[in-house]
Amino acid sequence: MARDLPIARTTDDTARRLAGPRRGRGKERLGLLLLCPALLLVLLLFIYPLFYGLRLSLQPEAGGLLTNYSDFFGDDRERATIGNTLRLALPATLINLAVAIPLAYRMRRRIRGQRVITGLFVIPMTLGTVLLAQGMLSFFGPRGWFNKSLLQLGISDDPIRLVHNATGVVISLAIAEFPVVFLLLLGFVSGIDPNLERAAQMLGAGSWQRFRRIMLPLMIPGIATAFALSFVATFAVLPSAVMLGQPAGETRVIALAAWQAAYERFDYSAGSAIAIIMAGIELLVLGVVLVGRSRLYRGPATGGKG
Amino acid sequence: MQAQAQPQRAATKDLVTTERPAPRIEWLRIRNLTKRFGDLAALRDFDLDVRGGEFISLLGPSGCGKTTALNCLAGLLEPDDGEIELDGESVVRISPERRRFGMVFQNYALFPHLTVGRNVAFGLEMQRVPKARIGERVDRVLTLVRLGDQRDKYPAQLSGGQQQRIAIARAVVTEPRLMLMDEPLSNLDAKLRLEMRTEIRRLHQALGLTTIYVTHDQEEALSLSDRIVLMRQGLIRQVGTPREVYLEPASAYAANFLGARNLLPVRVVAAAGDVQIETGSGVTLTGTPRGDLAPGDEAIAVIRPEHISLLAQGQDGVNTVPGLVETVEFVGNGIEVSVRSGLTGEIIARTEDLWRQGDGVALRLPAERLLVFPAEDAGETI
Repeated sequence: MARDLPIARTTDDTARRLAGPRRGRGKERLGLLLLCPALLLVLLLFIYPLFYGLRLSLQPEAGGLLTNYSDFFGDDRERATIGNTLRLALPATLINLAVAIPLAYRMRRRIRGQRVITGLFVIPMTLGTVLLAQGMLSFFGPRGWFNKSLLQLGISDDPIRLVHNATGVVISLAIAEFPVVFLLLLGFVSGIDPNLERAAQMLGAGSWQRFRRIMLPLMIPGIATAFALSFVATFAVLPSAVMLGQPAGETRVIALAAWQAAYERFDYSAGSAIAIIMAGIELLVLGVVLVGRSRLYRGPATGGKG
Repeated sequence: MQAQAQPQRAATKDLVTTERPAPRIEWLRIRNLTKRFGDLAALRDFDLDVRGGEFISLLGPSGCGKTTALNCLAGLLEPDDGEIELDGESVVRISPERRRFGMVFQNYALFPHLTVGRNVAFGLEMQRVPKARIGERVDRVLTLVRLGDQRDKYPAQLSGGQQQRIAIARAVVTEPRLMLMDEPLSNLDAKLRLEMRTEIRRLHQALGLTTIYVTHDQEEALSLSDRIVLMRQGLIRQVGTPREVYLEPASAYAANFLGARNLLPVRVVAAAGDVQIETGSGVTLTGTPRGDLAPGDEAIAVIRPEHISLLAQGQDGVNTVPGLVETVEFVGNGIEVSVRSGLTGEIIARTEDLWRQGDGVALRLPAERLLVFPAEDAGETI
């Protein structure tokens, strides 16, 4: 331990980097120890319910160990909920990213009215799903302002169906999740050293090349995180799928299937099985995103020492 | 002969020759460059003529406008007024990416997601240089900065000094018309700073780059520059070779910034030939006048520590005053002695002799070294 101090203090970067792993050993152990309380909490709050649910799902009311799972995958109507949910979650997430990336990029430097704009974007987060759904029902409904305006302006002859179908749910999910995605990306982009962009500019890169070659690659970790968060949140959709969608048909989401199993048929074991399947799909998608992200660059977003 | 036909290529080809290759521009002319931030004029009426191949330092404390001037030159800031001409072509309205200037940033600004090789190649790719030529030129410039074997590493894997070399390599490989450097050494430790200073000088000589170099470090400016532009509060205060600025400061501020650490507020008694001055404490001294001085004027007398003689107690003569040694600091190549005397606060003298705290001494300020300037706020004593 004693010998570690001078190394850390005096020598240049290279030595510090070389000394890094050796010097860290003792501190690492202490760090792990300090991590324990938090780890315990995580175990209690997340891991325990997961295993409890897993165990419950493997104890069906009748039949063998995997009966609930084979039932779910054997039943077309149940199995279809996976596709139904993906068809809502993926478009909503992708739309959010497609809107938030350029927007956050535009706002990477302080601009006039930044706070007001950010505030406006964040409002949906404060509304809650139900209020949002209510609002959308009256705004986008067949007799809502949106369709009335379209009819009045002669843009369309019949009201466009935007609620009680998948479109409505996608719109509501996109609106509800947008603030999270936007704020996350904004924080990420503003953290990128502005000198990198200036350096690229001095080297002859136009605005598109600066975005494409420098900023976008550096934003990838942020984009992956935003995608993961938004996807997980939208994949668990329940209220807006019921209120704004067609819960008997195309928006019968997997969360609804689980809910119906547990609280309509009172088959907790089957409900747990569906919840576990849901978690499995989410973990799978997260895994793909994280692996993809680590294949691409993941390092500091600044170009050298501070 | 080839150098005449293709000066640009020759610049990087003959890296090992000691001869300075032909510069890529003939001249750079800056007129009335002005930049305001709100009410504050960060840069006012900046005029400068630079010859091709010259190494110019913009020197001054933070907030003096040196970085603003550099960013206006780069095009990263749009000046409110003024003209920048390069061999007869006005570049003020040209965007930074089309100016073909190179820039080295204080924090290097290497692209962290690209390898060293890709960082250096970036500018060439933007210029659509053919792939094969890019590889060749990247290799050559990496050899030039002595990092030929680091091509596939990422910036984060390199030390500060290596990162700085890469930043320089990335800028010079594009053969810029003008090289701009923004305090490139300020993030390095003292030893590396000296090494890189020599390196920058070597590269400048090898490549014949016209360079504008921003720094607050007088030693850096003195050792690197062909000419120094001393700035303060957005204005140019003096332009000259390092020797001129050092030996013939145009103002008390210039003298102070370039190491004349002793500033005495005085009143002019007589101003015929040598100037007679009187300090607040009533001591009369003889000095060399600089600028307009009339009897009765407030003035500042300036002298460098190394120009003061420390004599044994009891000596007297012209400009010799008694004093008491307050502190003694060994500074490697000499000893700095701080003396309390009847003049003003403390006088710092540089000597080879070993004095001890509490010793009685006599300070002699040679009249030809005691420069008397009209009064102004000479800035912080540094």
